[in-house]
Amino acid sequence: MDENKKRVLEMLAQNKISADEAYRLLSALESEVGATEGTPKAGTGEKMKSKYLRVCIVPGSEHEHGGKGDRVNVRVPMALIRSGMKFTSLLPPEARDKVVGALREKGIDFDMRNLKPEDMDELLEALSELEVDVAGSDGETVKVFVE
Amino acid sequence: MKRPPMLMHVKIRGERRGFGLWLPIFLLLPLALAVFIIVSPLILIAILVFWPRGWRKRALHVFGAVFEGLCSMRGLKVDIQGDHHCIYISAV
Repeated sequence: MDENKKRVLEMLAQNKISADEAYRLLSALESEVGATEGTPKAGTGEKMKSKYLRVCIVPGSEHEHGGKGDRVNVRVPMALIRSGMKFTSLLPPEARDKVVGALREKGIDFDMRNLKPEDMDELLEALSELEVDVAGSDGETVKVFVE
Repeated sequence: MKRPPMLMHVKIRGERRGFGLWLPIFLLLPLALAVFIIVSPLILIAILVFWPRGWRKRALHVFGAVFEGLCSMRGLKVDIQGDHHCIYISAV
């Protein structure tokens, strides 16, 4: 395993992979070590607690696609999402009705009055398995994942 | 126990000029506490005014939620790099 880690670090030093990719590879290697040593890992009994929601947008390379666009790297703590969701319960009933009405007008049949704390926990737990990887025609890539 | 971030690093760079700022939140917290103590009589009056309307519980929850939101900001990072601009916000 140490050999694999060394290889990842070498690839990072040679600029073959980005720091984010290196971090993800090292995390994957560590979880693999945990699995072989009998520690709990994702998908087998006790789940690893995800800490951050990451959104990375990398524009296409300059020589191929003009390199237009911003490079975005956002890391949002899951605790912040959780506390943000709690704010919905603080909305006054009148405001909540207006939000629900506006959503329904847009064709979204979502009633936030039915959103309970246990539902939020379930939703955030389900988020830990989220991984979005989009490659655009202009060469840009959008990645959304939880780590 | 959750604790608020100690430092916030804000870096904004435009086409011509930019600035970087390390905000020592741990120094601002005592100041915020002092302001809160000064303003607390007004908050108390507001709570008493809204008591019959059933807003008391909600007002108390708001304080808790705001503090929890502040504490949850640890680890937040926003990094936007453009050709001529850059925005970087990080809470440590």
